[in-house]
Parts: sequence; C-alpha cells; structure tokens
Amino acid sequence: MNNLSRFTKKLSILFGRQQFLSDLDEEISFHRQQAEQEFIAAGMSPQEAHYTAMRQFGNATRAKESSHEVVGFSFESVLQDVRYALRQLVANPGFTAVITLTLALSIGANSAIFSVIEGVLLKPLPYPHAEQIVRVFLSSAEFPKFPLNPFDFRDFRERNKSFESLAAFTRGDMQLSGNGQPVQLSGFKITAGYFHVLGLKPALGREFDTHNEVPGNTQQVILSDRLWRSRFNADPQIVGGKITLDMLPYTIIGVMPANTEHPGNDYHAVPYGESVDVWSPFAFEGNPAQRGSHFIEGIARLKTGVTSEQANAEMNALMAQIGNEHGGTGWKVLLIPLYREIVGANQRMLLVLLGAVGMVLLIACANAANLLLARAAARQREVAVRLALGAPRRRLIRQMMTESLVIALLGGGLGALLAEVGVKTLVALLPAGFPRAHEIHVNLLVFAFTFFVSICTGILFGLAPALQASRMDPRRGLHEGGRSQTGSARQGRLRNALVISEVSLACVLLIGAGLMLRSFLNQLHLDPGFRQEQVLTATLSLPHAEYKTGADNARFYSRLTTALSNLPGVESAGAGSDLPWTGYDENAGGFNIEGKRPPAQQEDHARYHMATPGYFRALGIPLVRGRFFTDADTKDAPQVVIVNHSMAALYWPGEDAVGKRFTFEDKPVEKDWFRIVGVVGDVKDKPDSLSAEPAFWWPHPQAPHPDMTVVVRANGDARALADSLRTQVRLLDPSLAVANLRLMDQVADESIATPRFAFSLVGLFAGLAIVLAAIGTYGVISYSVSQRLPEFGLRLALGAPPGNVLRMVLVQAARLTITGAVVGLIVGLVLARVLRSMVYNVSSTDPLTFTAVGFGVIAIAMLACWLPARRATKASPMIALRAE
Amino acid sequence: MAKKPDLLPGTLDMLILKTLTRAPLHGYGIALSIKRFSDEVLTVEEGSLYPALQRLLLQGWVKAEWKMTETNRRARFYTLTAAGRKQLGVELTQFDQMIAAIGRVLRDPQEA
Repeated sequence: MNNLSRFTKKLSILFGRQQFLSDLDEEISFHRQQAEQEFIAAGMSPQEAHYTAMRQFGNATRAKESSHEVVGFSFESVLQDVRYALRQLVANPGFTAVITLTLALSIGANSAIFSVIEGVLLKPLPYPHAEQIVRVFLSSAEFPKFPLNPFDFRDFRERNKSFESLAAFTRGDMQLSGNGQPVQLSGFKITAGYFHVLGLKPALGREFDTHNEVPGNTQQVILSDRLWRSRFNADPQIVGGKITLDMLPYTIIGVMPANTEHPGNDYHAVPYGESVDVWSPFAFEGNPAQRGSHFIEGIARLKTGVTSEQANAEMNALMAQIGNEHGGTGWKVLLIPLYREIVGANQRMLLVLLGAVGMVLLIACANAANLLLARAAARQREVAVRLALGAPRRRLIRQMMTESLVIALLGGGLGALLAEVGVKTLVALLPAGFPRAHEIHVNLLVFAFTFFVSICTGILFGLAPALQASRMDPRRGLHEGGRSQTGSARQGRLRNALVISEVSLACVLLIGAGLMLRSFLNQLHLDPGFRQEQVLTATLSLPHAEYKTGADNARFYSRLTTALSNLPGVESAGAGSDLPWTGYDENAGGFNIEGKRPPAQQEDHARYHMATPGYFRALGIPLVRGRFFTDADTKDAPQVVIVNHSMAALYWPGEDAVGKRFTFEDKPVEKDWFRIVGVVGDVKDKPDSLSAEPAFWWPHPQAPHPDMTVVVRANGDARALADSLRTQVRLLDPSLAVANLRLMDQVADESIATPRFAFSLVGLFAGLAIVLAAIGTYGVISYSVSQRLPEFGLRLALGAPPGNVLRMVLVQAARLTITGAVVGLIVGLVLARVLRSMVYNVSSTDPLTFTAVGFGVIAIAMLACWLPARRATKASPMIALRAE
Repeated sequence: MAKKPDLLPGTLDMLILKTLTRAPLHGYGIALSIKRFSDEVLTVEEGSLYPALQRLLLQGWVKAEWKMTETNRRARFYTLTAAGRKQLGVELTQFDQMIAAIGRVLRDPQEA
C-alpha cells in the first residue's frame, strides 16, 4: 500500500516536474530572503546579509538536486547522464567515429565468432537427452579407432547391461531410378533400433526391427524428409509404396521428419547434419565364427545413471569374453560421447579463434581508454568547474562511466550488425562438411552475448579514465585554465601501460598467425605425391541386380576407361577404389611374406585399394620401380599387386620389392601368392598425416568392386570433359548415375580447408590487432608530442638540432614498443603451446616466426611514431610563448 | 567561525516531525524553530532540510500547502499527518532506547 502511494506520488512529480522544480525554487529563495531579513534586523547591511545567507546555506543547486533525487526515479538521473553523454559525443564527431568504429569492428568480430561457437559447441545436439548417446568403436595400439565386426556387435547387443539400446550403421549409398534421371542417394544401412538410440521417431510409418536384419528381408527403406518432398511430392500415403533402388524394388516403410541429422561417422564418412537420403536394413551375412572383418559403426544410448566409463568397462569385459570364444583379438572397446565425437576436433580451433578475437577486443579497449584519457585531459576544466560547484565525485564518475557505456553500446549495436554480415561470410568460408555449420545463426543468445560484451567493454575502458579524471584537484584544474598540461605522472604511466599491453597483445596474435601461416605453407608446398591439376573425378556405383559377377564389374570399368582414354583432350583415364587425401581407410591384415617369419605379436597389415591400368598415370602418382598394371593383368592371369614406397620400405627394407610375393593364406598354394610388379610413390591419407601408411593395389579385374572413382587427366581444362564423361557412361549404361563430379583440385582443396579457415581468421585478427596497436601507439606518442610542443619549440629555438628532438621522441616510443614486444614474445612463447596440435611441421617455438614478429611489430609501431616525431622537429618557439 | 556540531545522523526527520507537532510551519520556520529550541546548538542546512522534507512528503508523514505568511508572502507550509504523528512516536521510542543504551555504555562502572 505504502509503496504504491509512494510510487504514484513519484509518478505525479515526474509528470509535473516543472511545477515541482519551480515550487522548490520559490521555497528556497523564500528561505534565503527570510534569513537575509533576519541578518538585516541584526544590523547587517543588505549586501552583507545577502552574502552571509549565501555562505551559510551553501550550494542552492545542490540542495535542489538532492531534493529532486529524493522524489525522482533513479532512471531520471541516468537518462540525464545519457543525454549529456550523447551531447558530448555529437559535439566530438571525429572522436566518436574513431572510438565507435574500432569497438564495432572488434565487438562484431567477437559476436561472429561467438555465433559459430554457440551453433557448434553450445547448442545442444538435436537428439533428446543427447548426453546419453555414445559412439562405440574398437581400439588397439595400431588402430586407435576402428569399426566393429557385425557378429561382435550382435554379441554386444545381446549381452550388455549398460545400454538402453545399441545399434550399428554403415555407409550404403543407393541408386534411385525410374521417375526421371537416375540419382545416387547418400544412404546408410542400419540395424534395428538405430533411430531409437537417437531418440527419433519416423514421421510416417515405422523403423526397422530385427526381422529386417535377416538376409532376404532387407528390401525395405526409410526416406528422408528432403527426399520425400523433392522426389515424391510429400505424398502422405507413401508408406507401403514401392521404389526402385539399385535396380531392385524396395518397399517404403517410413519417412523420417525434417531435421533428422546424421550423427556423423568415421568409416566412409558422410558429414554430420541432414546429409542422408535413405536408410535401409543392415543384414547379418556370412559366418558368425569369422570375426576378422570390421566395417560397421556402433552407437548406443546409456541407461539412466550409467556413466560412459562404467559402460566402457563392461564392454571391455564383454570383448574379452568374445575374444576367448573366438580366438584372442587384442581389441579393446572405446566409447566416445557423441558430443565429443562430433565437435571434438574443432573445439580447440574454435576456442583459439575466440581467444584471438578476444585479444583484438582487449586492444580495442586499450585504444578506447587511451582516447578517453586524452579527452579527459582536454576536459579538465569542465571537470574542475563541476567539482568546484559541488558535484560529488561519485556522480562525476557515474556520469563518465555513462559516457563510456553509451559509446560501448553504440559500438555493440553497430557490431551486432557487422556480426550478422560476418557470420554469413564465416559460414561460407567454413570447410565443407564442418559439423553443425547449419546451426550457426545470429540469434538472441548472440545478441545477449554482444550486449554483455559491450557492457564489460564499456566498464573496462571507461573505469580508469573516469577514476583518473575525478581524482583531479579542482583548484589545479581551474588554475591551469583551458590548456591541459602534461597530465599527471600517473596518467602518463597508465597511458604507457596501455600502449605496452596493446603492442604485446598484437605480438601474441601475430605469433599465432605466423605459426599457422608457416604450417599452412608447409602443407601447400608439400609434395602431395600426385598431381592434382587438370584431373576430373566422378564416382559410379554398379547395382548388384544388373552387375551380378565380378567379371561384369570388371568389364564395365575396363570398357569405360578405355573409351575415356580414347577421347580427344584426354591424356589418361582410369578408375580406383578411392582418391588421395579423402581419408580412405580400408585395411587388410594378417598376410604372410614369402621367406619371412610372421611377427609374433602384431599382424602385418596394409591399406588395400583397387585400380585399373590408367589410374596412377591419370592421378600423376609416379612409378618408383617395376611397372604399372596393364590390360594383361586379367582375372585369369597370375595375381599381381603394386605396393607403395612405405610398404616396400617396411616389409622389404634394403631390398627390391619388385618380384617379391605375399599371401593371405596360411598354407598357400601357387595361385594364392600375390607378386609385386611395381612400386609407386607415397600419398598420405590426409595432407597433415604424419606419414603415408603402407598400401597396396590389386588390379581391378583380379579384385573387382562395384563402387569406383573414375579419374580423367585432361590435356587442357578438365572441366570441359564433364559432358563427355557423362556421355560415355550413358552409352554403356543409361540407367547409371554419375555422382560427385569434381575436379581433383577441389578434392585436394577441401582437405586443407580447415587449416586454411583457421589460419585466415587468425591472420585477419592479427592484422586488425597490429593496425589497432599502431593507431594506439600513434595516438599516445602524438598526444605526448602535442603536450611537449612548447618544450620542443624552446629547445629548437635555443639551437638544438632537429635530429636531437626527433631522437628524443623516437627513444620514448622505442622504450614502449620494445617493452611491449618483449612481453608479447614471452607470452607468445607460453600461449603458442596451445597451437601445437593445430600446426603442421612447425615447432611452436619456431625461431623464424618469433624473430620476424618481434622485429615486425617494433618496426610498425616505430613507423606509427614517425609522423608525430616529425611534427616535434617542426615545433615553433612561438607556441611556447603563446601558451604561457 | 567555530564549526557547529553536526546533527546526529538519522535524527533530522524526527526533529522536523517534532517541530511540526507544535504548529504548521514553512521550511525556514522549521529551521529557525530547531535552532531556537536547541539554544542555537543545532542548525539545519538547506542542503539537508529540503531533501528531508521531500522524503517526509513522499512517506506521507507530512502534507504541504502554499499559504500566506503574517508578512503576506507566499510560503509552503508543512503540516504533520496522523501517520507522521505515529512515526514520530516510533522514532522517539527508538531514540530513547538508543540514548539509554549509549548512556549505559558510557557510564563509569565505579560509579555504580
């Protein structure tokens, strides 16, 4: 009640403010007149009485202000401060523009990076209780993260007590035909309960059950929302209908809702996101006693209350059990929480980017504080007058803080606009397949972050100048008049500290950028082991229904590559199981080398690939020894292989591998031996892999495979061959889809997209940092020169050579920048360790980078001081005379 | 000029309320009255008097209206309200308790 009546009273005073103030005025002047009359009655002269009353009653304005504060709302005085601040800013447009733009740039950059972090790291995964979902891998010393064997998986599923449900999936692309052009669909084969693990339910129909896991029951399919809408007009009656996949009829049993996101996978990876078109059942085929083949990936949902560690322990016990039943394998189980699996690799990079952009903001803050300090010096008189008139210091500080907050919020508002643009650019720059890239938006949380950062920024850069200014002695300020003097020693120290920290932060960022640049250049200049220019690639997948035997597959690819080689403009053409730098990871283990005893513990293993005769030539992979495959290496010819240099060096060290033989059989007969006919150069799995894995190739006719990548090397522009490639495929089989038609340049480019992304951003931030630091240094030196102009003028007039004055200024600047650079290099030395895992073939203490950055920063900062120093040498003694 | 002792903090409201029990007064009258009744020991400055009056008005402990003085000048007169009288009672009790407590602390134990 009381509060309410108080509030209404305040409200009525707020609206009748003029009345209130004039009442108060009248009341106070009445008060004074009464007092004066009394003094006159006591025998004073009227004038004496007037002054006595003034003295006795003190500051009338202050009395009115504090009366008003009692009845006013607190926001009224804030509004008053804001109005005052805005007037100040409008009155100094240059100052306002510089400070607001600097802040806008750096706050905007922060918000943009934060948007990425919010979308990728902070936003929960789009699965209910995603924290319970784990990925299930096998692990050994040689293969730290390996897919599961289907029958091991089935035992896990039957025996485990830790999981609410456990499912497996593996890549299973399909070709959709009928109803227009045949298209290659991105697909997965999944076990029963796959969507249950993810916590998703089909929008129409149902998901597969264990019945579908039996061979023969697998011709059923679940469609993605996108495919359902784009190819089937969102037909609500589609469940139960039939479509042709890989030339076979499939029954549609379900349609997943929109936003069904693929949780990402390792083996034949498809990026995280809405990247899958169809899901079909995974069938358990083959002999359950043979557990050597690993190609399905596990995913599971933990029971409530079971931790990933507990489940991992149980699974290891199970694996040991299974190992005992089927012959020891040495595998351990590795559970990785889904979130960590999806964002893990990028987390560090994003946090490094946030750190870098945060440093830019700190530099911008230091610049803003410097500008405010310089301006506070120019406003000494104003402050002195207000202090003399009785303004409390607290109120002055508040008012100055309001000014810096207004500036910061202006910068923040502008920054939010910049962030909107920045985020779009960032997302466009992100490497293809970057997990959760589609989740990145400027949303409410980003705005909240921007607001929060702006407020913090305002406090950070405003507090020191405000405290400084309010600490001033009003008598001195008034005495010195409008001309600001050198400023107190304390102010000078603060300014110097700000410059030193700006320079050192810029140094740290440049070191980061420098290391990443070196690493990037290393990757660029690395001999990739193949020639990516003028090569066109495409993938084909022959449906089993039409190409039943290996001979069918072999015949098709042989015909296609021969036809392509004969085209005008084609230098060579071939087909292979995979392309370089695409993370291919198929391994064959347990072979025996002729004339050597198998090692006791480790199995011999190597990556296996298939290739047609033209494959190596088309990719430009050099032949080290022996020969490439020829058309004579047919199914019935002696079995041959080509190995890479790493395999030759590992298993036949110091020998010529050509002519040597190995086999996968324990008791081989003559036809089980593979004879090495050639050694080719090494190609790493990925550009930043430490070394190439041992690998061998089978000639395609001797190890036929339906899914191959076609590689065509052109004499000129490879793009021009795209149509001919499509035509040749159509001539051989009009029902085939040509997928992933890309230049090898693009493939290679994508594989270094992530380091390039990180490097470009850190480089951009470092560039921004050094520019800001140079502006800051320029500002401080220029300010100090303008303060000392009379002194310099006098020195010059008294005969000091201009060179001396120049040196004086530059020495002052050098002291600051060198200190800053040294601090920056030391901090950089410590922080660069964070980058260790992000840089390739560069030491995190790379002397070249550190030296270059150290000298570079000092040079740039000194350059920034050159102009003010020149100005000092032109100082005229008249300035000194006029000033005094 | 010797500095006059300051008012005990927190007592100004009470003094104003007490002064107004005798008669409605304008601001200057209140200041004068406090000065006289305290034998010139207590002076109330404008800087604290008028904010205090606003505070009392806001709490509803006093009312204000513009009236003419004996010398025929317009002045704002403050009158104690019923709530103000009650508040004065509360403050006086608290003040007495406070003074008694301070007295007990200050008394020399030997005297007892």
